[in-house]
Amino acid sequence: MAENQVASNDILLEVKNLKKHFPIIGGLFRRTIGYVKAVDGVSFYIKKGETLGLVGESGCGKTTCGRTVLRLDGYDPTDGEIIFDDPKLGKVHIEKLSKEELKAVRPNMQIIFQDPFSSLDPRMTLERIVSEPLVINKVLSGQALRNRVGELLELVGLRSEYMTRYPHAFSGGQRQRIGIARALALNPQLIICDEPVSALDVSVQAQVINLLEDLQAKFNLTYLFIAHDLSVVEHISDRVAVMYVGFLVEMAATDELYFHPKHPYTEALMAAIPIPDPRNRTKPIKLPGEVASPANPPSGCYFHPRCRYAQEICKQERPLLRDVGNEHWVACHLAEELQLSGLTGHNK
Amino acid sequence: MPEENIVLRVEDLHTYFYTARGTVRALNGVSYVVPKGKVLGIVGESGCGKSQTAMAIMQLVPPPGKIEKGKILFKTARSGQSSEGNGWVDITALGRHSDEMHHIRGNEISMIFQEPMTSLNPLFTIGNQISEAILLHQGVDKAEARQRAIDILARVNMPNPERIVDSYPHQLSGGMRQRAMIAMALSCTPTMLIADEPTTALDVTTEAQILDLMRELQADIGMSIMFITHNLGVVAQMCDSVAVMYLGRIVEHAPVEDLFYNAKHPYTSALLRSIPHLGERKVEKLQVIRGAVPDPYSTVPGCPFHPRCDHYMRGTCEQEMPPETIVGPNHMVRCFLYQ
Repeated sequence: MAENQVASNDILLEVKNLKKHFPIIGGLFRRTIGYVKAVDGVSFYIKKGETLGLVGESGCGKTTCGRTVLRLDGYDPTDGEIIFDDPKLGKVHIEKLSKEELKAVRPNMQIIFQDPFSSLDPRMTLERIVSEPLVINKVLSGQALRNRVGELLELVGLRSEYMTRYPHAFSGGQRQRIGIARALALNPQLIICDEPVSALDVSVQAQVINLLEDLQAKFNLTYLFIAHDLSVVEHISDRVAVMYVGFLVEMAATDELYFHPKHPYTEALMAAIPIPDPRNRTKPIKLPGEVASPANPPSGCYFHPRCRYAQEICKQERPLLRDVGNEHWVACHLAEELQLSGLTGHNK
Repeated sequence: MPEENIVLRVEDLHTYFYTARGTVRALNGVSYVVPKGKVLGIVGESGCGKSQTAMAIMQLVPPPGKIEKGKILFKTARSGQSSEGNGWVDITALGRHSDEMHHIRGNEISMIFQEPMTSLNPLFTIGNQISEAILLHQGVDKAEARQRAIDILARVNMPNPERIVDSYPHQLSGGMRQRAMIAMALSCTPTMLIADEPTTALDVTTEAQILDLMRELQADIGMSIMFITHNLGVVAQMCDSVAVMYLGRIVEHAPVEDLFYNAKHPYTSALLRSIPHLGERKVEKLQVIRGAVPDPYSTVPGCPFHPRCDHYMRGTCEQEMPPETIVGPNHMVRCFLYQ
């Protein structure tokens, strides 16, 4: 979708019309009676060395999207293309690979999970946790392996002596560092960060965000940064994509998206950010009704029942994500006509 | 502050938890006042004791916790109940199941919790649960209580209150459940509402609507709100004054503008610098507070923040707890820098 805009060899990951539908099993004969369309036609691209923020409210499909891109267990895509530029193999279609072929690409695509308490095996020492990817992929062994683990721990700001300890001895922030060390072990190109700081205390959040930024600069990493905290995403992302009920509604450079949104849902999100400034108290945009169910979405644009600008066409036709100029992608019939307001009262 | 403008006064409150691993000093000498008709924010990181101050006020400190020392003085509206004179009653002196406490809890002081699903009973309708408090405290009949429940649901902008009143909690979304909780808390028009992270489990657009609703109701009813949160953005949007807690102590207490523009305690200013500010993207790195909140079983001598503080003064900070210092109108800080 983006070839005309961005040189194809600048793109590390391109996702086209990705779908992930989960069957709903029910009834007397345990038949499939419907589908939860968790991801329903998502398209985006990430350029080499950049951070793409992926935001949206709970249940919008952002986590499923991240996992489907990696084809984690149980997350094979229902439809669509995932094209990854592997440093050795060149452009590969992840969705077409067999489990065996996937193993060759996996080291280059890693993930950091949200909950640092459940994503580390409590019965494994740090050494085993961090070395596991190196052992499975038969990269290193013996003393070289130990040295590499020590190096990785130092890299994320932990002392290498800690490698004999177990995860319970560490705080939430330190555990998240362990998860990052594990993700870095195989020198990946792409790291999917799934809500990496939302379980952490405010004072520890900043440490982990800074670490992710430092590592990105050092190793030219590319991040897909999935989060619901719009302030954190604004801080770390070069571009941001907004998801609503399994579909991308807008994608643009960070400042452009925050200060000049073109989708009414993005406008409502921006107005809802609790700004840490008592002199700038905001009034939210009222969104009537509830978030649509991904098992039974409304006709046309999924956002139309809650949209204050909705017109007849919005009920009939589902708008596609299109570039309205300067790599600003919007899925709204009225994108050109609406004058929406972004964040105000700031330095821009 | 003149006494008639105060609804609650906490004095030197200590709550300890006696566990097998040792004693956790959840509250270690906390003093503050809740002004009438204002929103007081209590902010801090996990384990700082912010929720425990609320539990102490409601006489709901769970075992093995115990209020060890201190007073919680509340100005009750009920005549003939004052143990301290002038309508003041010391909550710490009341039994958890005493008549007096039953009268205060849910009636004069009510509380909303972070996770509405765990605080609503799944077996009863929303209407039943709201009416329960009304029947208990207001002495009206069932039909009247139901009507009041519908009215209060309409008041919290619940869509279709006549239908919702007969719904069960699982039939509502997270935002609607939190509205139902607020409706329940407001059903007896309390003098004071304690909101413990009421929007933390909600999405940002729902959070904004709930905060807006609480602001509106507060202005309308004129009740006092004690708003417990870890989110400095929510504090800035909601509160009139703010108490910052760290390891069971209040380290700074100031009007909200002072706190954000003239923070005195190194912990407060470090917290404010560590959050991303919109529109300043990647201009500079986030400031970090080194280390982490210490283990609750350990005791830090002197100022609890000194091991992480950039202004640590050897020979002073680790010796004793800095006393409360007044640095401006209604602005208190506990730090040796201002001695």
